[in-house]
Amino acid sequence: MSGRTDDVSHYCRDGRPTSLDGMPATPALEIDALTVSYGATVAVDQLSLTVPAGRTVALLGANGAGKSTTLNAVLGLVPVSGGSVRVLGRRPLQAIRAGAVGAMLQHGGLPSEARVGEVIDLVRRSYPAAWPLDDLVATVGIDGLLGRPVDALSGGQRQRVLLAVALAGEPPLLLLDEPTAAMDVEGRRAFWATMRDLAGRGHTVVFATHHLAEADAVADRVVVVDGGRVVADGTTAEVKRGAGGRTISFTGVAQPRDDTLPGVTAVRVQGDRVVLTTNEPEATLRGLLAGGRLLPELEVRGASLEDAVLSLTHPADPAPAAPAPTGALR
Amino acid sequence: MNALLLFQLRRVGRNRQYLLFTVLLPALFTVFFTKVFGGAAAGGGYQEYATGSMVSMMAYGAMGAALGATIRLAFDRASGWLRQLRITPVPQGQVVAVEVAVGALLTLPSLVVVAAVGRFVNGVELPLGTWLALVAVLWVGSTAFVALGLLIGLALDEKAAGGAIGFVSVVLAMLGGLWVPVQLFPDALQTVARALPSYWYAELGRDVVAGSAPAPTGVLVLAGFAAVSAILGVLVATRRPLHAVSG
Repeated sequence: MSGRTDDVSHYCRDGRPTSLDGMPATPALEIDALTVSYGATVAVDQLSLTVPAGRTVALLGANGAGKSTTLNAVLGLVPVSGGSVRVLGRRPLQAIRAGAVGAMLQHGGLPSEARVGEVIDLVRRSYPAAWPLDDLVATVGIDGLLGRPVDALSGGQRQRVLLAVALAGEPPLLLLDEPTAAMDVEGRRAFWATMRDLAGRGHTVVFATHHLAEADAVADRVVVVDGGRVVADGTTAEVKRGAGGRTISFTGVAQPRDDTLPGVTAVRVQGDRVVLTTNEPEATLRGLLAGGRLLPELEVRGASLEDAVLSLTHPADPAPAAPAPTGALR
Repeated sequence: MNALLLFQLRRVGRNRQYLLFTVLLPALFTVFFTKVFGGAAAGGGYQEYATGSMVSMMAYGAMGAALGATIRLAFDRASGWLRQLRITPVPQGQVVAVEVAVGALLTLPSLVVVAAVGRFVNGVELPLGTWLALVAVLWVGSTAFVALGLLIGLALDEKAAGGAIGFVSVVLAMLGGLWVPVQLFPDALQTVARALPSYWYAELGRDVVAGSAPAPTGVLVLAGFAAVSAILGVLVATRRPLHAVSG
């Protein structure tokens, strides 16, 4: 494909990149105790995260959890109050100048009065090793759009063009901030198929999302962020297991007492159902029954990733969040 | 040629408003004012009036082009393009430098077209060297308004910037004597005119057509004005970088 770069370790397409002497390659991304504050608000709080090259990592969390701010700090778009960020061993701006990063931003956009092909051409020229145009167009699925004015694109087309811009320089590290927000179901499916393809070629992909299904389906590692901190980090299976194995649900009204049931890590109400996430389902059930309450339409099942994330980010205990109980969690 | 500069020029070429307001309108004004008011002046008076009116309209067109060119900064920030561009290897300094270059290039069509209309429609007669000097001096002088336009584009969001540029160019044109000669102003307004960069900008051109070098006062006023705008622009850009999310 590119074949034009000397820096093989960053572009390794086949398998996991390692340097030639067998030592582990420089991580694609190293965040160490990153802190970002907006005035008195701490958006990212001592967040640390290392992503080895070639991995696909989801940053999962609610709006305001600090995902976007973390990605923006990696790109040098926000002033950092503490900690450090290294992209392939470089500072953010150096990494950008070296063409090591491509990104789809939440507030990124395309210029008016320009054609799609002109925009992509401009961006490709700025990178040291541009992605061959035909292949880029086919990969991203923008055939037939190159001659179109940017102002005439549909929402989905616009997102694909923004992806093409992010990929134009064939960057080793790709950062995506809720990339599928404006896409329909079909667009999402196609998008993530492209991402898997990229990961297969050795690109490192870090994406922020609050779509759990996306994280579950695409990422080989999920980092759950809440309150600007990493609250869980592992494979989706590890995060599910670590966050309390089961949910117990029944029709009825949640009562404050539910919070004090043994083993419960989260309580939420879904329509007319109460859903308890618990890591001791038996003890929880016993507690519920001992309270003498009826449990119509009782259901006990393995927690979904969504349940896991909820129990991690909305702990039942109103006191400060206790550390989650397994090795998969920090 | 620099890829970004070429890219920006292509975009400008698609903007009909730019052509309308900075090239066609001043050219039409030149013909209109000269035919309406110049006809009343007899003999040598016509030549003098037609020349003065042409110089004023060259200044008006170039000023509008310089101010209008830089509003793209505000639009490109609002659309998120500057933020997107910031995470490509294109250096940020180049983004600003290209805006300055585009602003400077865009003033040329206004100057040349209005001069051509003055020469071939209104019959203004000047030696060839004076024609060239006139365009050159007004071209260099227009950088003061490129700097002002950059400042406005950096400081304001796109809607406000559009309004501000419209307002500023009307005020500078009207009170600076670009539409109606300053000699017809009451004394108080003449004092106001002499405090405006637009007056001194046109004055550079009047000096040239009178056969002399631009007076130092005008040069200094415009240079000072450009420097103040540029410094304020740098301060604004430091507080609120190009890639800041608008709004």
